[in-house]
Amino acid sequence: MSNNETIYNKRMKVADLLASDSSLLSILQRLDIKLGFGEATINELCSRYGISVELFLMICNIYSFHEYNPHIDTLDKNDIKSITTYLRASHRYYTTVCFPAIHEGIHTLVKELDEVSRKLIDKFYDDYDNEIINHFKYEEEVVFPYIEKLMENNRPNDTQYRIGQFEENHSNINEKLNDLKNIIAKYLDEGYSSPQRFELLNTIYSVENDLRKHSLIENKLLIPLVENLENSHE
Amino acid sequence: MNKDNKYKVVLIEPSEIVAAGITQIINRNPEFSVVQTLSNPTYYNANNNDIDVIIINPTVIDYNERLDIRSYFGGTNSALVALAHSNYEESVLRQYDDCIGIYDNSARIIQKLKNAMEENAENPKSDINELSTRERDILKAVAKGKTNKEIADEFNISIYTVISHRRNISQKLGINSIPGLTVYELMN
Repeated sequence: MSNNETIYNKRMKVADLLASDSSLLSILQRLDIKLGFGEATINELCSRYGISVELFLMICNIYSFHEYNPHIDTLDKNDIKSITTYLRASHRYYTTVCFPAIHEGIHTLVKELDEVSRKLIDKFYDDYDNEIINHFKYEEEVVFPYIEKLMENNRPNDTQYRIGQFEENHSNINEKLNDLKNIIAKYLDEGYSSPQRFELLNTIYSVENDLRKHSLIENKLLIPLVENLENSHE
Repeated sequence: MNKDNKYKVVLIEPSEIVAAGITQIINRNPEFSVVQTLSNPTYYNANNNDIDVIIINPTVIDYNERLDIRSYFGGTNSALVALAHSNYEESVLRQYDDCIGIYDNSARIIQKLKNAMEENAENPKSDINELSTRERDILKAVAKGKTNKEIADEFNISIYTVISHRRNISQKLGINSIPGLTVYELMN
């Protein structure tokens, strides 16, 4: 699967897009697209909100089809700006919607636990939460400004930084979430089985999946585009 | 490794002459010690978790069982080495981590025992997803915050082997980060 238009296309109705994959709803949410879009097509919706329709379709395809490989040559410099805007919006979505939901679930769960387990899980989650916040902060304060400078056509002289390093430092933010998932599903005592524990696990699965897509957008779209830009400055 | 810092070997071989010869060769080596010699595998205690290597003459295993040797030993985590007096089918020998031939010299025999342990640590074939005693000990050390180097020194194994064990532990538990492993260790 490599053609950008094969799966979803801009003439498709937004309602049909969501019917085919409801997880795309969260993309609308983080782009601040309001519900009540009626019979609008993807193209109409994107132009109303000033979003690049090409990019929007690529993001939807990355979310829905894991073998999909975007053709980045159809994107240009302006799209890089849109991608970083999207990623920032995505960070905001994680920190205001997803992680608070997990935190809430953990909070409810640990109330039932013995003291040792409670402290262990609380601490584990707090550390993870800090790690994630730092990860986002690093991207927003170091990586994105670097990219923006590159786009203004001046390769920052004061830094040897290259986007490739971002990829190296791009430690797997999903690792600990995966650990948490297995601890809650497999290793917490059976005695603590409650509907809330199921619900928490459900939330973790969906956030984990979303973070994986988020990383794919960085790895398949942002990094290759910025690398091209870096090479054009050489 | 037992408290004398030697790898424990169990030998299952019906010929008294061969068993005595192999035992002598292995015991001459400072790193290995034959702790038990059996003529028949049914005498082997499958709950014996701290055996590093089991050497087996494939003929002692019933023909029907030869193709699933590890479950024959209760899904043991020990390395399995065949002691082949004659030729066996590839499918039989593939079950083992290495194979000692009856004409191998002592250096080669010891080398094969070491290979088998490395091979076994690298590719756990155990059907049972439980941690082995050795893995539990290593997990405890990881939870205490010890580095791979410190663990290697403590257990007298190579860093490479520590890394293999850690990979196997994470694979079995589905937990990769050190904090995650610590939570698991302290809760269980």
